[in-house]
Amino acid sequence: MRAFLFLLKFSYRNLWRSPKRTMIMVLSLALASGFIIWDLNFANSGSKEVMKGFLSQYAGRYQITRPDYYEVANSKLFNNYKVMSDEEVADKSLFATSTRRVTAPVFLSGEKKTLGVLMTGIEVASELRLTKLSDAVSKGEFLSPAGSKEIILGKRLAERLDVRIGGEVAVIGQALDGSVANDLYRVRGFLDFGGGDLEDTLAFTQIASAQEFLVMDPGQYHQLVQFDMTNENLPKIEGLRAWTWQELIPEIGVSVSFVDNFTWIVSIIIVMVISLGLANTLMITFFEREKEFESLNILGAKASWVAWSLLIEVTILGTFSMILGCLIGHAATTLCSHYPINLELFTNGKAIIMGGMTIKPLVKFYPMAQYYWQVPLMMFCFLALSMIYPLIRVMKRSKNAV
Amino acid sequence: MQFELQNVEKFYQMSEENKVFGAKDINLSIHEGDFMALVGPSGSGKTTVLNLIAGLILPSGGKLFHAKNEITSFSLEERTQHRLEYMGFIFQDYQLLPVLTVHENIEFPLQLKNFAKKEISERVEWALEQVGLKGYGKRFPKQLSGGQQQRVSIARAIAGKPQLILADEPTANLDTKTAQEIIELFKKLNQDYRLTFIFSTHDQRLIDQVKTVLYIKDGQIIETKKH
Repeated sequence: MRAFLFLLKFSYRNLWRSPKRTMIMVLSLALASGFIIWDLNFANSGSKEVMKGFLSQYAGRYQITRPDYYEVANSKLFNNYKVMSDEEVADKSLFATSTRRVTAPVFLSGEKKTLGVLMTGIEVASELRLTKLSDAVSKGEFLSPAGSKEIILGKRLAERLDVRIGGEVAVIGQALDGSVANDLYRVRGFLDFGGGDLEDTLAFTQIASAQEFLVMDPGQYHQLVQFDMTNENLPKIEGLRAWTWQELIPEIGVSVSFVDNFTWIVSIIIVMVISLGLANTLMITFFEREKEFESLNILGAKASWVAWSLLIEVTILGTFSMILGCLIGHAATTLCSHYPINLELFTNGKAIIMGGMTIKPLVKFYPMAQYYWQVPLMMFCFLALSMIYPLIRVMKRSKNAV
Repeated sequence: MQFELQNVEKFYQMSEENKVFGAKDINLSIHEGDFMALVGPSGSGKTTVLNLIAGLILPSGGKLFHAKNEITSFSLEERTQHRLEYMGFIFQDYQLLPVLTVHENIEFPLQLKNFAKKEISERVEWALEQVGLKGYGKRFPKQLSGGQQQRVSIARAIAGKPQLILADEPTANLDTKTAQEIIELFKKLNQDYRLTFIFSTHDQRLIDQVKTVLYIKDGQIIETKKH
């Protein structure tokens, strides 16, 4: 223990032989790790906020359906005949943060044109409480909770059909009993999704109207869409299946995953660049002391003793830097959790359109505990790598003495 | 204690036909209390012989023994350990560790030997007293003059009470007066404690004081003089 303390003292003092050089190394490592922690928190919080904004607009965090409602290989394909009811959901607490939906591929006819769309019957009161779908109404009004046979359409769809607010559209489709279903719906509003494709393909009506159209029992529906964004867990319901948003809109899931992974890749590249610079400085520092290493060896210090002293020196350097880096990273993250960053700063003030929907998020930072050990661990790994060559030199120099 | 070199040679193969000898046909016995100087012009092989004795380099031929142990058969680690156990070193440019105080510099080889704290303290104080630097323990090398630094280097070499002290040009960097003081110190340590010294030197004053002078030329001992 005494010998180790002596080694520790020797290494510590060697670290501060060139205080300016050491300070530059500590600061570069600390700033790099601090920035990476901040950046990872930014990417993570940004993804969360964007997704929260996107999912709470319409898609939900997950959907409960019959297991064979969506095709496993392609969630865009669904089977309208696979209906469910409240009796099948044992955990009744889920209803508080969920909304029921009925979906039907139908033809919408205006005076001059007929187009195929996906009509969704929604629980208006729940949608108003849980989702931001009503925010997308750019003209007219959202569906009234007490009304029936009202319809709201995507803005571009309305233009193509040449329909006006208060006008009527004919809906033609196939009911669940196999018969041809048709009915007239009054246009109540237009939806603006920032010009996305959904404006061409979506229409909404009251759930009761959709159930009547499809000849469904009033208690039957296709989807129970969950909007509780705080709970990360998925429920397990016998006879039903919960589909995550990543499964239902994989293209968005892949984009978010890409952003997260890309942030890590950039972080690793930053660490590599810093490590290369650091390795160079360490090598210069160690090479300047090669004669001293030789003297240590002559005095009886084995090459391993010298190697240990260098390793301890770099470990102390890394520890100081990482503590400082975590403090800097945490301070910057905490600041941004009090003063959220508006993502429009990075888009020249333009709104972000995602999955056909407009997102205007303020990114409030949520510090993730794992980054405070993952980033230092990554830094230490690269520090260890940057030590390989100097250590080889020390061991080789010792052998060259033969 | 006896260090013995038997027909030791060290050469460097420059090409197939061209060998450069750093040491050639060296036969030498070093006994307890010896006070010996290796003398010769630059490049004559003085330092090579010191390095061979220290086990820092291995001979190309011949054998080196210490108390019947063949040092030339030792591994690198064993030779380092052997040096630590039995030898002390004094360098021309002192080679004190700048980050350690005088006390810690002297303590360094004792720490490597795992001596007890009390013994380390006693030995360091003894060594400092011998070299006339009592009370300088807390200073750092840069706070000392060249002569004082060389005294610390001597204290470091003698603190472990080694069987052999090797000194490479120990007075070369010192002014006349300081060099004379250092020579007197070597002599006193040799006489009072029968410490064995072997120097490589050009310094005539040191050469005049030693008991045995070995003249080296082209790696070979060409003459031995005893005073």
